[in-house]
Amino acid sequence: MDLMSEMFTTPFMQRALIGSLMLAVMLGLFGVFMVPRKLGFMADGVSHASLLGIAVGIMFGGAPLLWAALVAACIGMVLAKIEDNSRLTLDSVVGIVLVGGMSSAVILMSLTPGYKPELVTYLFGSLLSISWNDIYFLIGFFAVTLILFKLQWRTLVLTTVHGELSSVLGLRTSAAKYFLFVGTSIALIAGVKLLGVILISALLIIPFSAANQATRSLRSSLIVTECIAIGGTIAGIICSYVYDLPTGPAIALVFVALFLLCVIAGKIISRPLLAHEHTQ
Amino acid sequence: MTSIISNPTENIVECCDLTVVRDSKEILCEATCCVPRNSLTFLVGENGSGKTTLVKTILGLLPKHSGDIAIYSGKGKDSNMVTGYVPQGITFPKQLQMTVTEYLRYSSQVKLEDIEGVLNRVDFPQTHSEHTINQLSGGQQQKLLLAAELARSPEVLFLDEPLSNVDDSSEKHILDVILEIKNSGVTIVIITHDWQMVSKYADHVICLNKNFACDQQASCVCKNSLSTVNIKQIQKLTPDPETTHDGYCYIDNI
Repeated sequence: MDLMSEMFTTPFMQRALIGSLMLAVMLGLFGVFMVPRKLGFMADGVSHASLLGIAVGIMFGGAPLLWAALVAACIGMVLAKIEDNSRLTLDSVVGIVLVGGMSSAVILMSLTPGYKPELVTYLFGSLLSISWNDIYFLIGFFAVTLILFKLQWRTLVLTTVHGELSSVLGLRTSAAKYFLFVGTSIALIAGVKLLGVILISALLIIPFSAANQATRSLRSSLIVTECIAIGGTIAGIICSYVYDLPTGPAIALVFVALFLLCVIAGKIISRPLLAHEHTQ
Repeated sequence: MTSIISNPTENIVECCDLTVVRDSKEILCEATCCVPRNSLTFLVGENGSGKTTLVKTILGLLPKHSGDIAIYSGKGKDSNMVTGYVPQGITFPKQLQMTVTEYLRYSSQVKLEDIEGVLNRVDFPQTHSEHTINQLSGGQQQKLLLAAELARSPEVLFLDEPLSNVDDSSEKHILDVILEIKNSGVTIVIITHDWQMVSKYADHVICLNKNFACDQQASCVCKNSLSTVNIKQIQKLTPDPETTHDGYCYIDNI
């Protein structure tokens, strides 16, 4: 009990919990639209390639995450632009970007003399590294993102269902697509200190994929996605604190466990439904 | 070069010298055609002749290379007019769990209390209203899309093979619905290969020929196909059949 009360009163844990709450809500929402569009791999590509920005920040000074966010936003824009290009699949471009970004980052780091301890923080995340400045930035970004979600909600839903029909309805599909691609890219970088570039895509992909196993409507899918995103992140942070585990892997493993639970729950829920359909 | 006389009171859609190029290939070449207001217009032609491309270009879903497209609402030229479109063989993302009711609420902003009436109009089973859209059969999805478009009260409705996936009893029902909304003043454009339907219901036919060079002697698919359903009189055929035409003929008042 003492450990729990200590956890919630310690400043760095407070920052971690506030930040993770906002990240979970944001990335959970982005996941609702990215996963059905089969863009989950893009999250991995963007976060890995953004290491280039981090390497530039470490090498030349300045805030590595700002550089990373800049790189991620550019990649997001390029990917949005080429999504409809018939000569290139998005997966192949993401693969090229991932390889190009990471290779450049590793070469840049090898050219920088001395040991770079902060690199491990960006790779796997660290609760201690989250500052109040990070939280202030997150609050601003979180507020803007929620407003844009509110404004674009119908367009995002319908473009995910069918792009052409949304255009016939007169919706601004292009603006929604750029918001989705660039917003997701920046949100992923905002979560790098929590989960690291290696594991941040878990927060985008797993909550929605898990919720999808046990829900049968968009509304319920959305609610369960957010519950899993928030619950899984907080449970992972608590496990990390209590058992002294690395934060990113702890959160990611909690998500994997929740996904497996949802798969089992989905099987149990769908069994009576199937039996009912057979008897009809 | 062909040109058509703009007559907003007569035509709801007019295309003039429309050329569409995709992947360096000319799909439509200087196509000139019109859709008369309040008509049931059929768009026919063999596979790959550019029927769907023509409709998508009119709807603004595909860019045109050159030429003009004009859409006239009852009040005059109006690019914001409500147009409806039901594509053929739509695939919904399997990962998105969206119910039929949710789809209607999002796409056509149908009120909850009106859902039953909207689905009844196209003979969609009420028991499926809480099913997810990707659980539906192809025919049911087609009906759902039609229901959603009808709920938006379009002035002109484009249907791409609307009966391709539906069973016989639903086919009759959907045809009745199409005729009913046509009689209520909606212009309908249907892409089809069903010549029986064309000969029975058409007010106006636009025929696209894939080879772009059919003449009286050669095999113009529309003329051959129309002849098989005993259509004796083609009152209007443009461009002039005496000259090699560009692949588009317009057959009025069959």
